[in-house]
Formats: sequence, structure tokens, C-alpha cells
Amino acid sequence: MITLHDYVLSANCYKVRLLLAQLNLKFESVDVDFHPGREHKGAAFRRLNPMGHIPVLVDEDFVIRDAHAILIYLARRYDDGATWYPIDDAHRLGSTAQWMNFADATASTLSAARLVVNLGYDLDLDAARTGGHETLRVLDEHLWFGEREGRAWLVDGDRPTLGDLTVFPDVVLAEEGEIDLLDYPAVRRWLDRVKQWPRFVVMPGVFPFGTG
Amino acid sequence: MWYPIADHHDVIPRHTARTSLHGQELVVWRADDGNVNVWENRCLHRGVRLSIGVNDGAELVCRYHAWRYANRSGGCTYIPAHPRDAPARTAACSTFPVAERHGLVWSTLAGGDDASEPPSIEQLGNDAFVLRARPVRAPADVVLGLLEELNWAPFGSDDTADAAVERTRVPGGVAAVASERGVEERIIFFVQPVDSSRCVVRPVRSGEPTDSVAALRHHATILADVVERAERIQSARPAAPTAETPVAIPTAPPRPERLRVRIERKWATAEKIAAFDLVEADGGNLPTFLPGDHIDLHLPNGLIRQYSITNGPGETAHYRIGVKRDPASTGGSAYLHDRAKTGDVLKISAPRNRFALRRNVPSTILIAGGIGITPILAMAQALDRAGLDVAVHSFVSSEGEVAFRDVLDRLGPVVHRYVGLDPDGTAGVLKHVLTSPDPGVQVAACGPPPMLDAIQTIADAAGWDEDAVSFEYFQTGDIDRSSSFTVELARSARTVKVTAGTSVLDAIRAEGLDLDSSCERGACGTCALPVLDGEVDHHDVFLSPAERAAGATILTCVSRAASNRLVLDL
Repeated sequence: MITLHDYVLSANCYKVRLLLAQLNLKFESVDVDFHPGREHKGAAFRRLNPMGHIPVLVDEDFVIRDAHAILIYLARRYDDGATWYPIDDAHRLGSTAQWMNFADATASTLSAARLVVNLGYDLDLDAARTGGHETLRVLDEHLWFGEREGRAWLVDGDRPTLGDLTVFPDVVLAEEGEIDLLDYPAVRRWLDRVKQWPRFVVMPGVFPFGTG
Repeated sequence: MWYPIADHHDVIPRHTARTSLHGQELVVWRADDGNVNVWENRCLHRGVRLSIGVNDGAELVCRYHAWRYANRSGGCTYIPAHPRDAPARTAACSTFPVAERHGLVWSTLAGGDDASEPPSIEQLGNDAFVLRARPVRAPADVVLGLLEELNWAPFGSDDTADAAVERTRVPGGVAAVASERGVEERIIFFVQPVDSSRCVVRPVRSGEPTDSVAALRHHATILADVVERAERIQSARPAAPTAETPVAIPTAPPRPERLRVRIERKWATAEKIAAFDLVEADGGNLPTFLPGDHIDLHLPNGLIRQYSITNGPGETAHYRIGVKRDPASTGGSAYLHDRAKTGDVLKISAPRNRFALRRNVPSTILIAGGIGITPILAMAQALDRAGLDVAVHSFVSSEGEVAFRDVLDRLGPVVHRYVGLDPDGTAGVLKHVLTSPDPGVQVAACGPPPMLDAIQTIADAAGWDEDAVSFEYFQTGDIDRSSSFTVELARSARTVKVTAGTSVLDAIRAEGLDLDSSCERGACGTCALPVLDGEVDHHDVFLSPAERAAGATILTCVSRAASNRLVLDL
């Protein structure tokens, strides 16, 4: 039995829900009152995660925190073909880790701007937006050349990886932080491709591809 | 002034691209027929960006409340919140001119004849190779200034040496040739002004090099340097006022009463049935049509005939109609069969609809008798495209009478065909088809009056709700015009005598009053007037049984008075 301590508007929780759907895993979602209740900072939640962050995943008696750690655990445990976290290929594994780290850069920029705009966090909005545009420029160039070179995803190969899965949420939600995607046409096309994954799931602010 | 606003990579199938020109935000999308649309990026309804909507290949569907807009014309074709009402004919997105040239998509905000087409750049020849476009957070003039001084080593040369570069201004950009030790490279740098502080550089190279990706990377690096310098210059400038020059959005042209169309193609789609593709005579867009719409054809011999538009959604380059030769033709179908030819120009009305198709019921039964298949084809394709359940029951007298077989084949197993049935056989099938009334099912039928009468009788007996069944008649029987009576026109304060053999419409017109009419066969509803007093002898096929019983409306072309006196609101 898998339990996800979850918040519907969290991009990091969304990453875990996306992978659980891709792996066709059933799970129970336990709603954490992140905003405005700040339940994740309370004593009860800190017994589960002393860092006071969501998401936290509990699989039987194994407790694991931090979105990317959870994703690596789920991919290693349940993805038989090792497609999402390609441990059998040094180059692809390294590149996957590289783009998962890129997702940390989008969290401190794109996601930070969204926290200010949507939830009123006290963060440097200008810095978040400037940094957000820098990450989007890098992403758009990589994806644009990928289209020319026959690479649809962030990492070489026919299948998407945790690189795509972890970068997608902050980027698709960027305009909630009033960071305009107008200048990044290749990014917009890649968002469309991700949305066409067979078991793609949405969250508030994310529309499906087509009338879905 | 025309500018490139996208390149061919940006307008891939089923995608909506987003850009901006002089502060006017645009949505750019390619329909499945290849046409590229450039529209104001704003739904008419709540102003939400259409670029977050769905390009379904034929129409763009707004993400918020699913208003649908047609390929080419931008006309609104369906408003789900008002399933029984056709959208206003004037409801259309603002569209901008579009052309594809040198691998780029061009548009202009100027309406009218300011510039009828984008510049053709001779230096590019026919094998333009589009390089990676770069958005720049600096105005177009800053970037153009840098491009006019740009030095670069042509791809394939030793890039450490100094290359000789010649540059000239061309409309919307800078044309440059770099040469070094016999290697020459010609590039036009177009600059799209996004708004007063941003632009996009769109370089196009003459000819595709062998190692194309390496060339793209070579030029991306050169352009990155230009972008960096431009943004540095811009950030050192004092902050400019941010107000944008207001853009005059071309408003949709008024809907013409009469359109001129040219017969682009004429062919025999079945025995005694001629098909026509009609295009706008001057090459413009045709008005948006809705499934079930018809047009009036004004023939050179003075006759006016109505034909249904058969097109599926998004097929907006022409209207396709089917005309059956009527052996008793007084010159309508006979003219179109025998004399009308490809290239002829005809006058038509804008599309009209009295056959509103709902898309909020899960399932639709469509019934066609003979040439009555024509509006049914448009409806079946619209429903099919919307992913709704549809069944088409098509009755023909022989296999040879099956018109538009290609469309029927494309619709596939939802089409049921019945060949050569007599009236009893037809009634048997109809009884089976209409066995169980269902609030989740609507029925629409088009065919000869006896068949529609049979459908009405069978539907009533089976208990179908009157609202669930709609009809399109394409011919009516003879009308008894032997009565004579008086018509008072209340607002005009006139009394008109209608004698045997004349119609109410004729009598009103003889009095010098103007009243619109179209089919003059009681089918279209154009000449309807409100009835204030008196009893109507209905001969039309337009009003529903309930409307007829209410007696509050008369179709003046065919219906008469059952009392000695009628008072009409005119």
C-alpha cells in the first residue's frame, strides 16, 4: 500500500502523482493543509518528515521524503524496464540527473514566482522572474535543437525520463507566476508532447492536450 | 507592413503557437487542410487567450467555455452554453492576413490594400533554410543597428579569419553576405517587432548546408552574441515609457447580403446530382457556416434556389453543394446542370440556418431521404468531429443515387444505407430506428415531405418529445390558393385585399411595402410576420405543430387566412 502525503497545488507533489500514474500504481492521497494551515510545519507532520516539507511517500513501512528521492525510489522499485531512471546507461543516467537538477533551478525561479503571486510568499519576485527567463532560454534552445536532431525529450533516446517529468510541472505552471512563455515556442511544443503521454494526469492550472 | 511572425516549425499540426506583433498578441495555428490562421489571441467571450485552447484540426476551441471558431474566417460556430441557438453571424475573432514564404509565416496588422502580400526576397531563391529565431529583450531598431554592423565567418570556413561581410537593409530586416576564401553565405535577418521593447530575429539562409545541425549551431552562437549586446544596450538606456502604440484591430467586414462566388469545380457526384465547389470570387474568405446551413443561389435567369452546405467543420475554403436535377425544373436545377460551368460567377446569400444542431445531447439520429443527405453530411461530420455519437440513416432509390460517397465512406460504420425501399418499407425502418424515445438523443431529418410526414407520425406515436425532432424540408406540395380575404397591416395602417391566386406576400408588395423573402415556398421563414388577430391557414413547413397551433406567426409566401380577416404586425 502506497500513501502520498500530498497537496493538490504543489508542483513537487504533482511530480510524484505523474510518475505513480505513469507506473500505473494505485495509491492513497492524504491531503496536507499546506496553505493556509501550514500543517507541514506542525509537530504531527514533522514526526513523519522532520524537514517539514511535502511530499512524503510511505510504501508499506518505508518512509521517504523529497520529490526527487521519491521518484528515484519508485522508478527503481516499480519501473521494470528502467525507462524513467535509466540506470543501465551511464550517459542517459547522467543526463537524467542533470535535468533533475535543472528542475531545482526552476523551483527557485519559476516556482518561487508562482508562490509569491498565488500564495503571497515573501520572496524576491524580480529575481525569480529574471532567473526564470534564464532557465527557460536554456530549456528552449535545448529542445529546439532536439527537434532538429530527432530528440523529442530532454535526454537522448526514444523514451522520456525523470528529467522531463521533473522539469515539466514548474514550466507548465510558469504563467501562474506571470512568467510569459511567449518567447519559448519549443518549450510550448514540448509541453504539448508531455501532455500526450498515455497516462498523463492534470492538476489545477494544467490543461490536458486536446479536449481530453 | 508585413513581418514574419513564426516559422514553419512553429505551426505543427494540432498545436497553437503564440506570438506578438507591435504589441498585438496573436495565436497562430495550422488547420489539417494546411491553412495557417493568424488571429487576435483572445476569445470573444471572456477575453481568455485562445493559445491555451485546442486546435482540433478544423476549429480552435477556447479552453474556458468551449466556444468554437472556424478555420479561415474565425467565425464562431458553436456556443455550448446556448446549444439551441446558433451564434450571432457577426461573432468572429479578429483575423489578420497571412502568407507563407521563405519558410516563414508572415502577417500584417494593416487591413485593406495597404500591402496585399509580403515581400519576396530575391536573394533567398527557392531553397530558403530557416535558422533558429531568437527573441530579444530590446527594440527592433537596436537589433537592426547591430545587424547592420554584424561580422561573421560563413559556415564551413575557417572561423578565426576575418570574413568580408556586405549588408543592406531590406523590408523588415537586413540582408547580408559573408565571404571568406571562396566560401560565401547569404543570410537575411528579419526582425519581428514584438512590442516597443522586444523583438524576434528570424534569420533565413539561402540554401540548406550539408551538415544542417552544425550550421544551425554555428549561427545560434553568432546570434547569441548579437542578443547579448542588444540587451546590454537596452538595459543601459533610461527606462522608456511602457505605453504601447494602440493597434487598430481590423474589424470583421460587415456581412454582405449578397456574395459573389465562382464555381471552382463542378462534377457529377451521383446520377442526376451535380456537385459544385463555390469559392469567394475575389479570393477572400467565405462567411462562416454552421452545420445545417443553406445558401440562396441567385441564378442569372433570375431564379433563387436554396442549397445546403455539405462541408465538414473547418472546410472553409469553399462551399460544397449538391444539386439534384428536378424533372419538373422551371430553370433552377436545369440551369445548374446544363449551363453553369467552372469559372462562372454567381451571387449567393450569406449562409442561413433554421436547422440548429445541438451538441449537448450525447447522441444524434440523422435521417436523409435522397438529396436530403446534403445538410445531414455537414451535421454528421460536425458531430463526429466533436466526438459525439451519431448514426446516419440514408434512404436512396438506387445505388447510383448515392451522392458524396467519399464523405459517407469517411464517416464509416455510422452510416446505414437503405436502397430502393417503398413507403411501407421505409416506414418499417423508421419505426425501428425511432423505437425508443430518449432524452439523450436528438433526431434531425431532411427529405421529401411524405417521408418527413412519416417521421413526424412515427415519432409522435413512439412518444418523442417535439423538441427532440427537427426537420428540413426541401420541397413542398401544391398550395390551394383559391381563398380570398382581407389583411390589415397594423403599423402601416393599410388594408390589403388578397385575391384568389395571389399570396399575402404578393399583396403586401403590390401595396408598395417592403418585405424580405427567400425561398417563397414556406420553408425558410424569411417572410414570417407576427399575427395580431385572425386565424391562419398554414401551408408552410417551417413552423412546428405547436407554433402552428398557437397561430401567432404566418409565413406570408404560402399561408393564407382561415378567417375573413387577418391583422398582421407590419
